[in-house]
Amino acid sequence: MTAASAMPAVSAHDLSVHGLSYAVRGKMLVDDVSFDVPAGTLTALIGPNGAGKSTLLRLMNGALASNGEGAAVMLGGRDLLRLSRRERAKTVALVEQQSTIEFAVTVREAVALGRIPFRRWWAGAGDDRVIDDALRLAGAGAWADRQVATLSGGERQRVTLARALAQQPRLLLLDEPTNHLDIAAQLDLFALLRDLIDRTHLTVVVALHDLSAALNDSDYVVVLSGGRVVASGVTPDAVDADLIRRVYGVEAAFVADPGSGRPVVIFRRLGDVGD
Amino acid sequence: MAVIAVALSGCNAVNPPGTAGSARATASPTSGVVSQVFDSTSADSAATSDAAATGYPITVQNCGFAVTVDHRPDRILAIKSTSLELLLALGLADRVVGAAFLDGPVPAQWRDAASSIPVISTGAPSNEPVLGLDPDLIIAGWESNLAPDTAGDRGRLAAAGIASYVSPAACRGASQPKKLTFPMLFSEFEEVGRLLGVREAATALVAQQQEELAAVPKLDRRVTALWWSSGSDTPYVGGGIGAPEMVMNAVGLENIAAGVDQTWTSLGWESIIEDDPDVIILVDASWSSASKKMRLLEQNPATARLTAVREHRFVTIPFPASEAGVRSVDAARDIARQLAALGFGSR
Amino acid sequence: MTSTRIRLPVPSAPSVAEGAGENPMPATPRASRRSSRLRGGPRAAVYVAAATTLPASVLLAVGIGSAGIGIIDVWQTVVAHLAGMPSPLSPLRDGIVWDIRLTRVLTAAAVGAALAVSGAVMQALTRNVLADPYLLGLSSGASVGAVAALMLGVAIMPTVAAFLGALAALTLTLLLARSLGPISPSRTILAGITVSAFGVAVTSFLIFWNVQGDSYREVLNWLMGSLAGSGWATVAVSWAVTAVIGIPLVLGARVLDAFAFGDTAAASLGIHVTRARWIFLAVVALLTGMAVAVSGAIGFIGLVLPNAARLLVGFRHRLILPLCALAGATFMIWVDTGARTLFAPRELPVGIMTALVGAPIFALVLWRHRSRS
Repeated sequence: MTAASAMPAVSAHDLSVHGLSYAVRGKMLVDDVSFDVPAGTLTALIGPNGAGKSTLLRLMNGALASNGEGAAVMLGGRDLLRLSRRERAKTVALVEQQSTIEFAVTVREAVALGRIPFRRWWAGAGDDRVIDDALRLAGAGAWADRQVATLSGGERQRVTLARALAQQPRLLLLDEPTNHLDIAAQLDLFALLRDLIDRTHLTVVVALHDLSAALNDSDYVVVLSGGRVVASGVTPDAVDADLIRRVYGVEAAFVADPGSGRPVVIFRRLGDVGD
Repeated sequence: MAVIAVALSGCNAVNPPGTAGSARATASPTSGVVSQVFDSTSADSAATSDAAATGYPITVQNCGFAVTVDHRPDRILAIKSTSLELLLALGLADRVVGAAFLDGPVPAQWRDAASSIPVISTGAPSNEPVLGLDPDLIIAGWESNLAPDTAGDRGRLAAAGIASYVSPAACRGASQPKKLTFPMLFSEFEEVGRLLGVREAATALVAQQQEELAAVPKLDRRVTALWWSSGSDTPYVGGGIGAPEMVMNAVGLENIAAGVDQTWTSLGWESIIEDDPDVIILVDASWSSASKKMRLLEQNPATARLTAVREHRFVTIPFPASEAGVRSVDAARDIARQLAALGFGSR
Repeated sequence: MTSTRIRLPVPSAPSVAEGAGENPMPATPRASRRSSRLRGGPRAAVYVAAATTLPASVLLAVGIGSAGIGIIDVWQTVVAHLAGMPSPLSPLRDGIVWDIRLTRVLTAAAVGAALAVSGAVMQALTRNVLADPYLLGLSSGASVGAVAALMLGVAIMPTVAAFLGALAALTLTLLLARSLGPISPSRTILAGITVSAFGVAVTSFLIFWNVQGDSYREVLNWLMGSLAGSGWATVAVSWAVTAVIGIPLVLGARVLDAFAFGDTAAASLGIHVTRARWIFLAVVALLTGMAVAVSGAIGFIGLVLPNAARLLVGFRHRLILPLCALAGATFMIWVDTGARTLFAPRELPVGIMTALVGAPIFALVLWRHRSRS
């Protein structure tokens, strides 16, 4: 399977990532990554640990500067990397993996941080409604006055998501959002993302290492290995057993979900092949 | 056991017989005259005035520590100016093998005698250089000069055969003099003279100093003074119980910090200005010169209004003379002379 | 897939949005503990109280001192000076009020404000509630400068030397932190501790090597902190630096909020992380350098007050910094008043007082912090 071969044609309103690279001490963590997906879709970014998923997300929102020549993250006809930091923060939001906090911060205060790019030093009022909406959309409204430190992992994930939503982004990036979630919370999260996409035409890119979740819940999939895109395309067609063996080093078998008919992957160690 | 005489001719007033403490360091029965104010006790039971040179061992209580000198010390290390100057005044330059931590130049009259004495350290010397000098007695100006991180713990020095003696005026804690007086200082000279086998020299020194002290003119009226040693933000001044108070008393000055039961004390500018001393005594040291202090007083608008500053009533005194020692009487004479020059009358 | 969606709580659906309170969350929320911090009216009351306590403290503290001058006389003197009228007191007592006490109280206020604000900024930047400017070696650097000037007779004023020392220590800390890898809170703190230890060693060496007679007395104020050297010059310097740096700092304070969840989060919120960090660190160096230059190394203010302020008004720095400034100023005025009057006519270095008062308060803050999280 060749990269991007199965990708749909993109319009100026779609997400087009081009030539992102990042090296630390000569080691390429992300190596000339490019892919295109339509706006208003959910793309799963998959690959084994160390494949460069988190770094790629940070490059996409400008938290890290790409080393690559001609790097671009086009969305809605604009190159996000050419925007001012503030403008970029109004367009793209990143939900990081579990971040710790030392301070006694309430949920509302944490979510209000998402309004920082919209504020000027002389004024800051008028954000309450956006913050309320973000809390509600992320399902965190019930704990607005609680301390972030007293929340469970899943609850904190929602707070971080609410903070990202308060940025009113067009592009939402999530880094391993299911890591600390139980099964029900994982399903909730994807339902929530799907709902946001439906209602706001948001473009979502989620880094995952849970292949089943990726195949079950995404529209497109981009497979990273060693910092490079090794496959991409429509879910689930872009992924097959051969690719999984090459990228993850395991045998995979696909069976159909009796309810939805979508494929479910069953893994075996190499050499333990049963069928 | 050999004994020596204890005849503190100059100190009878403060050392009445019969107030003896007990000597802890030796088993010999204790009697005789005791310089009780310093908690120091001679361990001798008989008095023969000419036994000084052969009266060893001698044990004295020194800053709460029993010091035993078992032969005439001939290799003496002097730490701090006061220690060296006392030895020079006793004519013992040839028995001093080293000096350390001097606060200023040796006065002119002893400069020749002191020229051959090596100065082993500009600060408090540490243990090894001290041991390397192979002294049999260390005389120190401060208790802190005889500590594990300086010349060495007194007990360990004693075990190594090195006796140690701290100027009793500088004792801290329970042994600290309640209020230092010239008689106490003179008894220190006598005690050192006894330890070193130069009792006659000590007696002569004391007699001479007593005579000089008696000749110091006293002010004919109430004159208040501040004795400013160092520190500029918060002045460090002579308090109510140490050498500065003793010297000021000798010339009839009233110390504005007399109420503080410390030898030295920090004193806020506010209380200094409130007391508005008639005279300010400025200690002149290389690290805090009298002229620098004068400048500070004149620059600060609040202190510039002090009577002493407006009328330039300053008295200066070298730092080594501001600590209790053989120069204390000199300091009193010097101050009295400067006060006379400033127009203060005396009787 | 649809079956999965059907059994979801649909927290985002508009129909249930208003009822978010009843939203059954999968990860069962613990009993909702509402924060004890203030908002609305009570919060405004805190600022009104802080803003009135500070001038009241100046007026009262100027009236307290070892010289028994009646407080009415003191106020009349101050008014007379301000109005250009002759002072009702004798020239000496007038000097005590106008040149000694008032300058000291005003300097204490500015130093307290600067230290408390510096602490709040350091804590935000390093994401560490235990951080303060001293952690970055600033105070030890300043002490090296001051002690070197005093002991070695370097031909610059100790205040300037302290300031340069603080800046040098900060630069050294940051260069060291950067040489270890990308600047991170823990690397910055480790580098700060290293530089601090080195600075303390150099200071100790200078003192040990040069101490003569009682010259260490001159140094003691730098090491233990004292406001006794105040005068109109220190009032001018401390207020100018605090105002010139403090006002823009408060206006730009929300940038500090962005650091709460780390550098990547800050970058994602549109902050130029590296530039912001350098600017804030330089600002802290200036504030701390000024404070140390004016009053020596005074600890605990920068540690205690930001934590106390956060307990009261939450973690937004636009709220914290002004409260820190007001409360730090007031706190320092009273601690210094204690230092100069409790044992009058003797004086205590104010750093001892701040530690004596600050350490128990800090223990309380820690304890509360623990019981809440």
